[in-house]
Amino acid sequence: MMQAIEKGKNGLSPIWILAAMVLFVSLPLVLPLSWLSLLTEILILALAACALNLMLGYAGMVSFGPAGLYAVGAYTTALILVNTKLPFWLALAAGPVFAGIVAIVIGWFCVRLTHVYFALLTLAFSQIIHTIIFGWYAFTKGDDGIVGIPIPILLRSIPSYYYFTLSVLAVSVAIMWMIVNSPFGKTLQALRENPERTEFIGINVRRYQLAVFVLSGFFLGLAGSVFCGFSKSVFPAYAYWVKSAEMLVVCLLGGIHNFLGPIVGSLVYIYLDEIITDFTHYWPLILGLVIIALLLFLPGGIAGAIAEKLSVRGKNTMKAQRYDSR
Amino acid sequence: MIRVENLKKSFGGLMAVSDVSFELAEGEITSIIGTNGAGKTTLFNLLTGHIKPDAGEIFFKGKRITGLPPYRICKMGIGRSFQKANIFPRLTVFENVQVALMSWGKKSRNIFLASRKLMVKETNEILESIGLGGKEHLKAGLLAYGDQRLLEIGITLGSHPDLILLDEPTAGMSPEESQSAVKLVQKIAKEMNLTVLFIEHDMNVVFGISEKVRVMHIGRVIAEGTPEEIRANQEVQKIYLAEET
Repeated sequence: MMQAIEKGKNGLSPIWILAAMVLFVSLPLVLPLSWLSLLTEILILALAACALNLMLGYAGMVSFGPAGLYAVGAYTTALILVNTKLPFWLALAAGPVFAGIVAIVIGWFCVRLTHVYFALLTLAFSQIIHTIIFGWYAFTKGDDGIVGIPIPILLRSIPSYYYFTLSVLAVSVAIMWMIVNSPFGKTLQALRENPERTEFIGINVRRYQLAVFVLSGFFLGLAGSVFCGFSKSVFPAYAYWVKSAEMLVVCLLGGIHNFLGPIVGSLVYIYLDEIITDFTHYWPLILGLVIIALLLFLPGGIAGAIAEKLSVRGKNTMKAQRYDSR
Repeated sequence: MIRVENLKKSFGGLMAVSDVSFELAEGEITSIIGTNGAGKTTLFNLLTGHIKPDAGEIFFKGKRITGLPPYRICKMGIGRSFQKANIFPRLTVFENVQVALMSWGKKSRNIFLASRKLMVKETNEILESIGLGGKEHLKAGLLAYGDQRLLEIGITLGSHPDLILLDEPTAGMSPEESQSAVKLVQKIAKEMNLTVLFIEHDMNVVFGISEKVRVMHIGRVIAEGTPEEIRANQEVQKIYLAEET
């Protein structure tokens, strides 16, 4: 009776999780450094996209400005490392914490609006963050960015930073998995489905929206901080709307209603970017075509389509049950 | 249980609810009837905090609830269903009721527990009581319309209300479904000692289960009494029942 519910719609078996872990841990043994560097970038983008998807896929809140909080995390870590003698780990932790604090302020305003108005307000705040970073040269070095950010010797090699990023992603994804499968996560899904009805079961909708906005901001900030350590530099472009669009596309590409969708999306996105730019300078054009094809033929995203294929048997069973119930 | 005093609400120049006052006793099953546009749903929206009144007061269990937001009114013990099935379509039937129960049990904010282990017994009990036992794993949006209406009642019950407001609970149902829904409401109200206030157009339903009937017309309560008294009321016959025929 409860089997279907216990398995969950994104049911991840321990064998698959173990296999994925073994694969990712052993990749540095077989991949060249350039590919490993690319893979690290993929993992960081996957973390950012998963963070965005907490809001987008689970609470139904379409944000056009996740890059703002990503940049807050990146710049917080960068500024601490460049201007103070604080250890890397503390600077790394400060990024998501400060991004979370900024998310409280931004979110307080944004959750007062819904749908496209919410989306546009998040974009506006993100652009404000970009403008502050760009314009406040004395503090952020403006368009020059902050370069030469010191990181511990332990993390200076590409394989070591890959393992570090993989660990951060694994822990973050585990926490996000716990969140989406908790009563809070289930309430967010109810809110996504029907905010009006949710209020009539005793849920303060705005408070829950703010909570997920802050959680999402925290993990976006963490992704920014990790990327700061990876690239050893930060630039205003991290907060620009193009970066937000990239995260949104990654979520859509992978599938917003599948927990692993953003991870699959980031893998495909960066891989396509890498491959296509070798042949043509018109990567944005190809990307546009990919998005159109995706929306028309795979509205559930790549991970959504794969999950659908894998659960065909389950769906047939479900159809039979529906038939029986009539 | 609930006391309404001189409630008023207008939209622009239209007086949707005008000087409405009434009181409901604990355990009473009462219906509100009236022609379309009489102000019945607006009254429900006022009672549940969906909209704020222009004037007047609402007291629930002796406490003033006028203008409170819906989630706070729900927490105080007022549940409602809507004119059209208002459910969580992509959640399972089980989850639809479970989220309401988790909210009632103050578990909704918890991020450390696995939701699948929570309120399982209570959820199944409610699903059994509304006749949806065995369908808990289905996506709610895939249910037949009549079942969706039942599920909505199940979601409302998940909030453990003392007073439930049902807005046309049998709308869109077949005559057979309507009959069983009416029996279900009666049974649940008796078992859980619920006070029920419902809006209904089907006179068989209204006169079949109501202990008291109130008639609204152009925002006002023009008559109230037992079903027999309402049947015999000439003003009601003239304004409302005549229109039915």
